[in-house]
Amino acid sequence: MARKDLRSEWRGRELLPALATFVVLALLIANFAFDLNGASVPRLAPGILWLVLVFVGLVAFGRSFAGEKDRGSLEAMLLTPAPAGALFAGKAAAAGLVLLATEAVLLLGMALFFGAPLSAAIVAISVAASLGIAALGSLFAALAAQTRAKELLLPVLVLPLWLPFVVLGGRALQEAFAGQAVSPEPSLLLLDLGVLFWIAAVLAARFVLDD
Amino acid sequence: MSVIVAGALTQRFGSRLALGPMDLQVAAGERLAVLGDNGAGKTTLLRLIATAARPASGRLVLFGLDAGAQRERLRGRLGYLGHQPGVYEELSVRENLEFFAVLQGVSTQRVTEALEECGLAAVQRARAGTLSRGLQQRLALARSVLHQPELLILDEPDASLDSSGRALLGRLFRDRTVLMATHDRSLARELCSRGLLLKAGLPAGDPWALQVVNAD
Repeated sequence: MARKDLRSEWRGRELLPALATFVVLALLIANFAFDLNGASVPRLAPGILWLVLVFVGLVAFGRSFAGEKDRGSLEAMLLTPAPAGALFAGKAAAAGLVLLATEAVLLLGMALFFGAPLSAAIVAISVAASLGIAALGSLFAALAAQTRAKELLLPVLVLPLWLPFVVLGGRALQEAFAGQAVSPEPSLLLLDLGVLFWIAAVLAARFVLDD
Repeated sequence: MSVIVAGALTQRFGSRLALGPMDLQVAAGERLAVLGDNGAGKTTLLRLIATAARPASGRLVLFGLDAGAQRERLRGRLGYLGHQPGVYEELSVRENLEFFAVLQGVSTQRVTEALEECGLAAVQRARAGTLSRGLQQRLALARSVLHQPELLILDEPDASLDSSGRALLGRLFRDRTVLMATHDRSLARELCSRGLLLKAGLPAGDPWALQVVNAD
């Protein structure tokens, strides 16, 4: 499933270039909107990163299930004997990888535009947070895809649930952007939450995808 | 043996009764054409029988199994084609079928067979998005028979098909129980052994005595 989604995305080149362009534009706006200098970057960079990431996630996850629903292939998949949890996990993994690819553009862009540091800690925290964001984003995207107001419903449902990742990740990233030693605890906690939400989302998928 | 047994089957969308209450029996090997105007309940009935939706009330038994409780067990025995072809436009014709072969748990050899069966062998490397609507419909048909289902449920499968495509339908129907919704009465006469006319979600008149009955 994940391979199929990534292959379709690679050949279609619709989502990733659009998200990368959005990231660059968002960073440009942030560059002009905030007074960014050596002193303010560590303070503002985590906020900019999470804001951009949250909007990118809404588009990436929203598209993954809505696209299948609109073209009528979601029903065809669900009527196979393949477990709904496995189908969900594949789609969520593909959408999560798209998010990670966009994150790479985002971190590189922040280094380029703002002179923000790019360290292993920053990458680790962002990746750890993306795990849970992908699980929850995909689950609620699957739910929203069943409704008419999917574009409106997804942010309302998922943004409150992404808050723990933003709060935990935001604090850890502030230290990392400031060049301070980062304790591994926030990353491990984000990882634990991510695994927990993945298990819960896969188990819940059959009820969400069932008509 | 009856493949489909429905008793007092209903479907509601909000407060609107979209289908039924309907009783229906389809024997093994029977080919039933479901006819009716737009909004008559054809798609609703087909989706219920395909286990793509749950009924509001009533009983549905497929192959002797309760369709509500045993839908996962039943799905390998059903082939469903909905309104939209639902093909992945960026993937090739073969890749589309190979993906569904994995989900259905069938071999890639069966993909090759299905491609030939549906007249798609020559375009198997072409991206599905570049195909005409008729060829996309053939691909969707190939997907619906990939796992060699015993019961085929098709919602207007003749959409965009040319005369050879209609002949293909005849070949795919052989040795299968079929439920087909269509607006084309001549196709129903040609391919189906029985007709069911729906009007406002209910069988119109005697459901078993529609004038499209083919005596074979």
